[in-house]
Amino acid sequence: MESVPSINQLGAQQAEREKQQTRRNLAITAAMSIFAFVWLIPIAWTLALSFRPEDSITANLTLLLPLPFTAENYDFVFSSSRIPRWFLNSLIVASLRTFLQLMICSLAAYSFARVKFPFRQTVFYFVLIGLMVPGQATFIPVYLLFSNLKLLNSFPALIVPGIASPFAVFLLVQFFKGIPIELEEAARLDGASRIGVYWRIFLPLSTPVLTALAIFTFLGAWNEYLWPLVAATDPEVMTITIGLTNLTATTYTANYGETMAAAWTAGLPIVGFFFVFQKRIISGIQISSGIK
Amino acid sequence: MSVRPKAVSKDAIFRLSRIERQEALVGVAFILPFLILYVIFNFLPILQGFWISLHNWDVIGTNVRFVGFRNYEILFGKDKLFWSSLEHTLFFALLAGPGLIVTGLALALMLNQRVRGIGIFRTIFYMPNILSVTVVGLVFARVFAPGERGFVNAVLSSIGLEPIPWFLDEANAMPTIAITKVWWSVGFNMLIFLAGLQEISQSLYDAAKVDGGGRWTLFRHITLPGLRRPMLFVIVLQLIASVQVFPLIDVLTGGGPAGSTRPLVMYLFERSFDYWQLGYGSAIAFVMFVFLFSISIIQLWFFSRGEGD
Repeated sequence: MESVPSINQLGAQQAEREKQQTRRNLAITAAMSIFAFVWLIPIAWTLALSFRPEDSITANLTLLLPLPFTAENYDFVFSSSRIPRWFLNSLIVASLRTFLQLMICSLAAYSFARVKFPFRQTVFYFVLIGLMVPGQATFIPVYLLFSNLKLLNSFPALIVPGIASPFAVFLLVQFFKGIPIELEEAARLDGASRIGVYWRIFLPLSTPVLTALAIFTFLGAWNEYLWPLVAATDPEVMTITIGLTNLTATTYTANYGETMAAAWTAGLPIVGFFFVFQKRIISGIQISSGIK
Repeated sequence: MSVRPKAVSKDAIFRLSRIERQEALVGVAFILPFLILYVIFNFLPILQGFWISLHNWDVIGTNVRFVGFRNYEILFGKDKLFWSSLEHTLFFALLAGPGLIVTGLALALMLNQRVRGIGIFRTIFYMPNILSVTVVGLVFARVFAPGERGFVNAVLSSIGLEPIPWFLDEANAMPTIAITKVWWSVGFNMLIFLAGLQEISQSLYDAAKVDGGGRWTLFRHITLPGLRRPMLFVIVLQLIASVQVFPLIDVLTGGGPAGSTRPLVMYLFERSFDYWQLGYGSAIAFVMFVFLFSISIIQLWFFSRGEGD
């Protein structure tokens, strides 16, 4: 026969279980902290390097703190390299591409989602094919096109090929289909035109998804590698991602402090950007993956 | 009695079709800017690429000669560099893929516990993902620098171990690239798995616990099956990204030492833009396209099937 546990026994069991839980949580937190520390070493170490004088780096390589502190390396980067220019180029290319992609793709997406025209579904499927086309499959013909137009080494070459994004259209069509039709009908009865509905109803209601898309397009353009590598070989129009590869070629004997200052001049604004938009970036990834 | 409504509806149909025509015009006008760019930069280049691959397209614009499928014959028949670069690509996929999935899943499982400071950890592990490949390359070229100029080697020698020639050694180079890749992009997988874990109902766990299921049983029979979709998603994305690997290797080793880490896309790039054999390069590109397109079709089929479950 089973004996019924007394209130005291139950309480003790409960307390024991809670204690176990707390111990387990502490262990997990400790493990995570160690792991996170190791994860941050590459960033902390090279960031510290960028603020240290070269002789001190040679004397004590693995120091994770910027001691003794100096901004000389950054002075050098800003005064005697092309990095500020490349930075500006990247800013122009990424911003313009993001803006144009959002405009053109959202307009097309609105039409696919709400306007009736012949062969709409067929054209939409035709666009979806683009989701499965890798950049390596298209960049040689696109290169020849710009070469024939004598437009290599220009901003249009860096900006225009990335504007039409099948993924952006796909994502926005999904979102636009969820906007209540009554809103649109009411506005139409009040005499709003199609473009008015798109501009005054659909765009404002889609701010979250448009922001997520803008962030990813901007980061994608900023970090793009293969296409700018062939399209912009002139140092005057290079993006910073490509410009910096000239530094990776200068082997391990090169000046550590200056090289790392160059790397973090490119990296820190993106890290800052990440901290500002962190929530949107993380939810954006989880939403667009279709898992959540 | 039936005549008047008919006349009205006829009129209505006439008016509707005029509106419809206007509507169609607006619809087409809205998609036109997108469609023009899409056709020029996404769609036509595939066909053009295939057309170019049927030629000896040696120097831009001059000396173009139709050769049929000759480029493909050479590629599959006797191009050792093509096969070796394919091998390197697969080797990279085999090293980085499981590393990214296991580490990503482990991080997600740990973060899914109800512990304080989850947000900070999530930020730390995801952050490297937004850095550009060149920044990652510059940083890890120093972290794994040879001799005692690198961080890892300096730490090794401080505890009395020999320095390791990470990127400069044929046996070590690709695993070191894979480690860098895991550091750089495991955060993405972590986020996907985390989203998947949060979708699994807690009641399933509670029920299993009542039945006396241990930690491993719960993981094996509830967590893993519950993560089927995110797992598939991650595996397919990983596979596609691995086939396309190039920037990271380009900035870390440039394909060396002695071409031992040269991946497929680097080979395609060298043929096209170092030797200016655009026909041959296009043949490599088209082979890649067919392969990746097939993976995507299978993925699409799989996921649309999963929807019906």
